[in-house]
Amino acid sequence: MSGQGYDWVGQDVERVDAVDKVTGAARYTADLKFPRLLHAAVVRSSLPHARLLHVDLGPALSVPGVKAAVCGRDVPFHVGIYLKDQTVFACDRVRYVGDPVAAVAAESPEAAAEAASRIAIDYEPLEPVFDVERGLEPDAPRVHPELGRYECVPWITPEPGTNVCNHLKVRKGDFDAALKRCAHVIENRFAVPQVQHVPLEPHVSVARVDLAGRVEIHTSAQSPFTVRHLLCACFGFKHADVRVIVPHVGGGFGGKAGINLEPIATALALRCDGRPVRVAVDRSEEFYAVVVRQGLQASLTSGVDENGRVIAQKMRYVWDCGAYGGYGVNVVRAAGYTCGGAYAFDHVQGDSIGVYTNRPIGSAYRGFGMQEIHWALESQMDAVAREIGMDPVEFRLRNCLGPGKATVTGQVLDESAGDVATCIRKVACGIGLDVDRTDPSGGGPIRRGRGMACAVKAPAMPNDAASSVILKFCEDATLELSLSGVDIGQGLRTVAAQYAAQALKLPIESVRVHNLPDTHLSPYDWQTVASRQTWATGNAVLRAAEDCKRQLLETAASALGRPADALELDAGCVRDPDSGRSVPLDRLVMGYLFEDGHAVGGPVAACAHFVPEGLLFLDPETSQSKKPVAKWTFGAQGVEISVDTRTGEIRVDRVVACYDVGKVVHPSLIRGQTFGGIVQGLGTGLMEELVLDRTSGRIANATLADYKIPSSLDAPRMEAGFLETPQADGPLGARGVGEHTMIPTPAAIANALVDACGVRVHSMPLTAEKVLAALDAREAGREGGHRGS
Amino acid sequence: MLTTCPERLAFSYLRPGSVDEALAMWAGQARPAFLAGGTDVLPRARREGGIGALIDLKRIPELDRIEQGGDGGLAIGAACTVHRVAVHPLVRERYPVLSACLSQLGSFPIRNRATLAGNICNASPCADGAPALLALEAVLELRAAGGAQRTLSIGDFFRGPGETALRPGELLCRILLPAGSAGARGSYQRLARRRAVDISSVAVLVARLAAGERRHRICLSSVAPTPLRAVEAERVLDAEEPDSVERAAELAMAACAPIDDLRGSAAYRRRMVGALLGRAVDELRSSRQTGVPV
Amino acid sequence: MTTQTGEQISIRVTVNGRVETAELRADRSLLEWLREDLDLTGAKLGCNEGECGACVVLLDGRPVNSCLVLAAEADGREVLTIEGLGRAGALHPLQQAFVDRAAVQCGFCTPGMILCALGLLGENPDPSPDEIRRALAGNLCRCTGYQQIVEAVLDGAGRMREGART
Repeated sequence: MSGQGYDWVGQDVERVDAVDKVTGAARYTADLKFPRLLHAAVVRSSLPHARLLHVDLGPALSVPGVKAAVCGRDVPFHVGIYLKDQTVFACDRVRYVGDPVAAVAAESPEAAAEAASRIAIDYEPLEPVFDVERGLEPDAPRVHPELGRYECVPWITPEPGTNVCNHLKVRKGDFDAALKRCAHVIENRFAVPQVQHVPLEPHVSVARVDLAGRVEIHTSAQSPFTVRHLLCACFGFKHADVRVIVPHVGGGFGGKAGINLEPIATALALRCDGRPVRVAVDRSEEFYAVVVRQGLQASLTSGVDENGRVIAQKMRYVWDCGAYGGYGVNVVRAAGYTCGGAYAFDHVQGDSIGVYTNRPIGSAYRGFGMQEIHWALESQMDAVAREIGMDPVEFRLRNCLGPGKATVTGQVLDESAGDVATCIRKVACGIGLDVDRTDPSGGGPIRRGRGMACAVKAPAMPNDAASSVILKFCEDATLELSLSGVDIGQGLRTVAAQYAAQALKLPIESVRVHNLPDTHLSPYDWQTVASRQTWATGNAVLRAAEDCKRQLLETAASALGRPADALELDAGCVRDPDSGRSVPLDRLVMGYLFEDGHAVGGPVAACAHFVPEGLLFLDPETSQSKKPVAKWTFGAQGVEISVDTRTGEIRVDRVVACYDVGKVVHPSLIRGQTFGGIVQGLGTGLMEELVLDRTSGRIANATLADYKIPSSLDAPRMEAGFLETPQADGPLGARGVGEHTMIPTPAAIANALVDACGVRVHSMPLTAEKVLAALDAREAGREGGHRGS
Repeated sequence: MLTTCPERLAFSYLRPGSVDEALAMWAGQARPAFLAGGTDVLPRARREGGIGALIDLKRIPELDRIEQGGDGGLAIGAACTVHRVAVHPLVRERYPVLSACLSQLGSFPIRNRATLAGNICNASPCADGAPALLALEAVLELRAAGGAQRTLSIGDFFRGPGETALRPGELLCRILLPAGSAGARGSYQRLARRRAVDISSVAVLVARLAAGERRHRICLSSVAPTPLRAVEAERVLDAEEPDSVERAAELAMAACAPIDDLRGSAAYRRRMVGALLGRAVDELRSSRQTGVPV
Repeated sequence: MTTQTGEQISIRVTVNGRVETAELRADRSLLEWLREDLDLTGAKLGCNEGECGACVVLLDGRPVNSCLVLAAEADGREVLTIEGLGRAGALHPLQQAFVDRAAVQCGFCTPGMILCALGLLGENPDPSPDEIRRALAGNLCRCTGYQQIVEAVLDGAGRMREGART
């Protein structure tokens, strides 16, 4: 049987970059050497909110070794992906501690630091806004008085004259009327603090502007083409004059999406006579000065009928977007149209509101708002189930989405959307929520509990977001695959190679994936975000492979004197099944040379793209839409925890995850992604929080000594299972799952805490001190109900 | 003002071959500091500057030894790393409580570099090296230029956050573990957000000597300006009465003076002194040694 | 015995089996020297304060945070970086195990993780999963959740013991 042994999709093939990464051969941006490199230092605002009266660069320029200094008045250009509310440097106002005010480039880091320290800045302090409650008050200081003048995509709706940078409304059915019919009405509030991505590699960008005016950027980024596009929009460059190259990237998690340090590096490089300039943040700046995840205040009201069906659901999500909302406004939007999570609510009133504050910049973070709203929603669903005396698993099954059911935007799901009910059942069974249990710890101080939570997410992206690839054969029939999706660790290049090798029946090692996305050389890709790459790039690879195959068959048709449609591509050759004759690939890939000397065909190569089809904008008043997003991915996690009731410490012992991914493309990569997401979720659930010093406006724990992410000892035992309900427009059925893996973990832990000792904590993270306070409150009788089994 | 570039340290580096030479170098330098493991002094120098010369102690043979003392105790040289002390056969055999505490200090690479002497000379309120040395009633051997030498009980060493009884130019050369403390067992309970490599918000060591009248030692860290012993609580545990643990917990909570900071409120910390004391006693009674929470 | 004062210092360090000599400023870290002067960029700068483990190398066989070691302190010592461990076609068994067990994602923590694990295996050739987790607790990874890393170290340890027997 032809092609047997080439079913690479579904196999544990070796990562294409594994050897590079275990030998140290893989070069990341900071590893690259540049002749005559200049080092930058960024001067950042020391005040959270102030009028910027004057910046004096003069003293910096007199420091020996300084090549250039630049500040807002030199490059007064706006930059931003959805809402252009930020300039390269603060111009007339600073909006958070860390806001870039000026930068210098010098021969050494010491000279740059010395020069930066001499730049004199005059401020007029303004009242800062540190939380969304204050930000929404009518008399609150305006963080962006110019809000009405900013350029903005049409599907984002800022409210000029306020601190609201976006507000999405979801109105479905008649919430108020439905609520009156409900047997139970349960209200709760939940909170999520700002947290940080903590990629192991901090942000770094190197820019060079040569004497002909061409710009070259090497940068640790998730989206080379978006960096190029936004840089061109900012500085007025021609796209073809800007080259963005992305070496290996040491983790992104959304923090390297959009555009970050590149405009600062470019502003300096424009003044450095063709010399390269490196802007690198240290670990402390990584925490507060680049981007963080938004905070959330959520208020939920659930109206439930006597059968345990939620018929009326109100959700108000208020986001702390920080000082700038260029990217974060789309998190607000995504949270709005996904406000009901994995559930089918008939009557919905949803509001997702982004609020400016004088805190670090909220932006994309793995899950794009979904972990935060699921913290609220999945805690609420559990609380409601317990309140009405129903098993939380059964309650979820009664209310969850599925084929034929409608989302909050009125989209009726089909079979291809995946099967959350089976995910719920498998997780409940895997973690032991399906059996009657008595706490094995009895009355001792260590209590055990189990809980679960669901997850859903769709890609939040422009409707025309594209991925494309180029395939071209070498003379020896090795296939070169070029793409601009970035392998930030998730294994994109490996997955792309699997699709290409399978489609063209090649040995996996015969597919080489170009390492460096490079806007001069590799084809367009919008961004590596939104769990979209396997799905979008995978589709583009299959289409390009189909084109290559057609070319090979056409050349072989001439060579064999047979019609192309009578031939088939086999392992390493094109074969005529009737005669058994075949031509090896290495005689076809550059064209075929006949014995008499004449040639047919030519080098085989193809470019193909993928853009999702049939997407429709949301209704501006109600957000109703039959197809607002390209795909949904559903899943669930169950956790088992131990709680020390003497101290409040939670230990997560075991996590079971199940996601409907359409197709498991690479079992060990998807397992690794899932485990990584769970542990990242556990970190935000138990220990991560950016703490603001409200006196100075600074982040008080901006070091790895003070802001802890999970270590190897914090990671629980984990099991991951997957369903394969094919995605209709997925490559061999696959859909994305990268972000979804961290969405449900904190809520599942909170629900397990209720199971273990009957207390619910409403704000992340679940620190020991908070848990103990909740236990105290229960003892004091201030919080009744919600007692666990 | 905040900038991206780390300040250069601009210090000189000196490498003496003997203690006398090290002490003489100190006297001859502007803003000198002794360099042992470097795991605290280097980040601090990068953050704060202010160091003119680092005098590296690691190549001084007399400081790089763990040896039996004349009285049957053990002497640990100032250049010995935490890991080396923690896994040393004599330490494991005779001072297992020290070994158990040190295995919870920092990370494996940090333990391979940091020294026990450096850990206590930093005088951090949360030093993980301090509780066991307090429990064992270690004696510190100090030397100064010109042949001056004195010994000091560990209990008299800590004066405040970052402050010790060391005089300028004086060097802690050896840590002496008394023979009388040999065989002490203990449970070291520490509370932190993360299960490893995290500064504790509260740490409690309950140790029990092999023999003697006053057998119990209760040492606290992260809950006062210095690591400290709760002596009154120890006496209550010695009495071994039915409510000893509860009463000891009360006394230990009264003995500490915690503050509110990023890692926890003062009230929580004080209460956790009692909780961890109870947990330590439970563990000690169940004869487990490791001191790993939950 | 070295008693150089002043800011410049001469060092002689065996790096990956090769003697390297240098004159450099006394305040430069081993990590800076390896990365900037020797172009051994496998050791990464993640935090510069010993909290992340991305810069771990072996110094006389023991894992250390090279950001917390002065280059001057390595004088006369032996340093092993990831570049000295193995190469394509001749990977060290531990490297091979990281490849085979899918213990690599973004790869930024990988060199430090492998070298720290190698340091553990030098002392304890047959560690338990818990011992591995304890030894690697100072090597942060934000991608993998550590499970496949622990599996890789167990696997690599087995391969190394097997190799030592034959």
